[in-house]
Amino acid sequence: MTTALDPEKIKVILATDCGSTTTKAILIQYVDGEYRQTHRGEAPTTVEKPFADVTMGVVNSVTEIGELANRRFIDDDGKIISPATETEGCDIYISTSSAGGGLQMMVAGVVREMTGDSAKRAALGAGAIVMDVIASNDDRRPHEQIQRIRDLRPDMILISGGIDGGTTTHVIQICELVAPAKPQPRFGSDYEMPIIYAGNKEARDSVTDVFREGGFDLQICENLRPVLEMENLGPARDKIHDIFLEHVMAQAPGYDKLMTWTDAPIMPTPGAVGDILQTVARIQGINVVGVDIGGATTDVFSVFDETFNRTVSANLGMSYSISNVCAEATMPNVLRWVPFDMDERQLRNHVKNKMIRPTTIPQTKEALMFEQAVAREALRLAYIQHKEFATTLKGVQKQRTVGDTFSQESTGDTIVNNMKLDLLVASGGVLSHAPRMHQTAMLLIDAFEPEGVTRLAKDSIFMMPHLGVLSAVHPQAATQVFDRDCLIYLGTCVAGKGLPKPGKTCFKYTVKGDTLNESGEIRGGDITMLPLEPGQTATIECDPARGIDLGAGPGKRITKDVQGGTVGLILDGRGRPLALPEDRATCQATIGKWIEGVQMYEEEAVAV
Amino acid sequence: MTRFLAVLMAMFFAVTVAYAAAPAPPTDVVATDEPNDVGNQVQLTWKGSAGGAAGYMIFRKAVVGDQLSGASQLESVGETATGVTEPVNPEGPDGAVRIEDLSFADDEPIAAVSGGETSYLDETVEAGTSYMYAVQAVSATNEVSPLAITEKPVTPTWDWINESKLWFLFIMLTISLVVILFVMIAKSGRPVKVRKIAGLEAVNEAVGRATEMGRSCLFVPGILDINDIQTVAGLTVLSNVAKTAAKYDAKLEVPTARSLVMTAARETVQGSFLSAGRPDAYNEDDIYYLTDEQFGYTAGVQGKMVRDKPAACFYMGAFYAESLILAETGNAIGAIQVAGTAMPSQLPFFVAACDYTLIGEEFFAASAYLSGDPEQLGSLKGQDMGKVIAALLIVLGCLFSTLFVLTQSEKLGEISAYISENILGEEGLELNDSQRENIQAQMDQTKAVEARNKSMAELRQSILDRAAGADGT
Repeated sequence: MTTALDPEKIKVILATDCGSTTTKAILIQYVDGEYRQTHRGEAPTTVEKPFADVTMGVVNSVTEIGELANRRFIDDDGKIISPATETEGCDIYISTSSAGGGLQMMVAGVVREMTGDSAKRAALGAGAIVMDVIASNDDRRPHEQIQRIRDLRPDMILISGGIDGGTTTHVIQICELVAPAKPQPRFGSDYEMPIIYAGNKEARDSVTDVFREGGFDLQICENLRPVLEMENLGPARDKIHDIFLEHVMAQAPGYDKLMTWTDAPIMPTPGAVGDILQTVARIQGINVVGVDIGGATTDVFSVFDETFNRTVSANLGMSYSISNVCAEATMPNVLRWVPFDMDERQLRNHVKNKMIRPTTIPQTKEALMFEQAVAREALRLAYIQHKEFATTLKGVQKQRTVGDTFSQESTGDTIVNNMKLDLLVASGGVLSHAPRMHQTAMLLIDAFEPEGVTRLAKDSIFMMPHLGVLSAVHPQAATQVFDRDCLIYLGTCVAGKGLPKPGKTCFKYTVKGDTLNESGEIRGGDITMLPLEPGQTATIECDPARGIDLGAGPGKRITKDVQGGTVGLILDGRGRPLALPEDRATCQATIGKWIEGVQMYEEEAVAV
Repeated sequence: MTRFLAVLMAMFFAVTVAYAAAPAPPTDVVATDEPNDVGNQVQLTWKGSAGGAAGYMIFRKAVVGDQLSGASQLESVGETATGVTEPVNPEGPDGAVRIEDLSFADDEPIAAVSGGETSYLDETVEAGTSYMYAVQAVSATNEVSPLAITEKPVTPTWDWINESKLWFLFIMLTISLVVILFVMIAKSGRPVKVRKIAGLEAVNEAVGRATEMGRSCLFVPGILDINDIQTVAGLTVLSNVAKTAAKYDAKLEVPTARSLVMTAARETVQGSFLSAGRPDAYNEDDIYYLTDEQFGYTAGVQGKMVRDKPAACFYMGAFYAESLILAETGNAIGAIQVAGTAMPSQLPFFVAACDYTLIGEEFFAASAYLSGDPEQLGSLKGQDMGKVIAALLIVLGCLFSTLFVLTQSEKLGEISAYISENILGEEGLELNDSQRENIQAQMDQTKAVEARNKSMAELRQSILDRAAGADGT
């Protein structure tokens, strides 16, 4: 690892993301006064045998970039050349990793909804997959908890519980469940199980005594819930990153070498995505939701009022987990998004084929429609889980006045507010590689149901992980590239909250811009699209019907600037929450009308 | 002069005779069984004595027989009736006489009414007994008229259906059916939506806070005894709090102001710990009696709060002046506080000082809400429907009454009267003549007021015109 450079002198940036199957590399260069992503390369990941060295895949992907950019990055010793000159090398090299299943953790807290959730948030925010949460109120008997801890093989364990000066008894009880269970780590037989203790500081000595023997590597950091009114997740997240690098990565083949190459610590891929979204939200002052739908899991990230949350829906995905999506959402719910009758037996076969052959892609329009219907349900369910998790802190004292007599809000309400959402970012195969951008936009709108005025975008080549690490080194470069090259803006969605009467006016609009000047009305149940090219902006003035809220309150006029995109300006009068007719025939007709409204499956435009 | 004296004496004589003469008896004396009762009322009506009377005395006699056939309705004391038909009550009650032997001689009147009255409701009769009534006019000088006796005996009967309250029956049946319906729906497994009650949802949170902070939970079940419904409702919530505390392994303390409440609370908490699978964690010394004295109890609990600083305080029951003292102390020590009471005067204090407050009905719904038991939930929903019906009728009544006043439409007046007097009152299924007369009287009164206002306005205008004319000249 080289010493940190002055950000002003960084002109060439090389970044890689070592995924489970593919290592993706991108090149960012300072061109005409701004940072742009210029080239990208891919190569199979080489962490598994027979190669068993992750750097081989990195070198291959970087070599591809070098050929495309006509620039030499790898020296004769097979190392990355740094710093950059006119024709070779890069100023900084950074990397993320999700190879080998990423970072898998078990967390524990005293009360599941309080320190248990805080510990889970710390782990998820650091980019981990949380395998289980052990708590004193998790409705399991001690022997069941011990058995569960034994069965799991996490990379590390995070134990929390008790505020500073709070309970010690419960904390020790949890430690005394973990210690005799002797959980075995995933990698390396001689490897001591890392345990991070981030609970009541008065219990540290007792916790140390419990884990003194038995092959544990106990690390102590600040309490992540020093008082119930506040979370302090930073130290625990940093500690997770440190252990990830020192213990987990060190066990994976080739990572010890890769760590010496990088100019910033290697981060778990989801953690890096979270970082870039937080950076963008902070710099632009906006609320962002990002989603990454994969084959086995779906990650949802959100930043509302600078509060970051991430959830991993472990059983919602488009290949390995597709059967679970259909089971959890139920087939009628999946089929309601399809505008024609489908044979259920054929569908089941299709689902199972997709599960055992994850890399297959739809060959017919019908198969594509079905897959996108499943994707809508997977995204919808993942977002519901995210909303349930992204809440205000529980166990906090409330201050009331007599005015609160009939409106006593409870704590633990979700902080996800679709009306406040400014930017919705999509990534993952089914969204990023949809034949038409219109399909991506509709999938996002149908699943997330944005309200008011929301900008839609997709991560063009899943560049967010690279930019997440870069944001820690060079935030300016990261945000510039994020804005200009990472995201492909699909357009802006204007949707009313409330239930408009079908066929009656939902809202009237007037759009004024350089290329688009139109006015009209959107009726209840209709969705339509106006052409507004990428880079163009317009001003929209909307008068919603009574009971319909576009952001200023029910029935109140809004005037906002809207940005264009590859899809354009989408005016959605279907209402929120989105309700589809229960009758199958009516539902098919309705979906058909919506598909037509945004030209989702226009034949001539289908990309190959 | 002699002539003048003769006239004067004649006048004096006439006045003296008139003053001393017995009043004329009342006429048309009719006794009828009062409908819609349990046979304990007879309505007696008559026409007033010709020439007026200072009052009337009512006589009653239990008889065996049916009617006084052929006998005069105006019998002097001691006269008897003849021609009696088949008796209604051949046995008759104790002291009953055969109708042909009817005599009110030596009887004390059962009631006396003033001279202006022409009816009397006798509420001391027995169902199934036949009675004859007599009314006697009394003058200012205590001269009495002959008795006016009812033509036939009256036999009050038990009415199985009170027709004046048929609407009440319909509403009660509707609510009962709705309760049964919702119970069946709940039992069938279909979800019964009950509004989220933040105060009850917060029980887990409050106990969780106490657990994380390593402090105790304090439950105050009010200061009234176990016979108060609020105390019983409070113990229902205590059951849930104790179960949660047992599950979280948190300490729960319950100071009581009544010994019986302490005993009931101990059994409640013990049961909850047992059902949570933690009978070993139950400690009966944590549920204790302080004193019956209101402020002695308050001082005791307050001292406990200041010393131990519980992290969660629950106030569930009947509270008086101690409500604010306890809630403010709890707020000052940083506890999450959940209160529940049906004392309207204490609610504002709890709302202002506590994190969550269960208000009246919410408090009583706690049992159904917390248990999730289909029967209780169904009953809760059914009761809600009853409240909806009541609220709807009140709104409609107000609406039609207002419209009646504004428009003076007879139809609207009838609807308004029907809602307030028939549906919500005791006038039966149909509007009666008396109600119609009342409506008409109200309309007439309004018209009279309007006419008077109009004439006053005209008078005022004419005075103003005249004054203006005078100024002009």
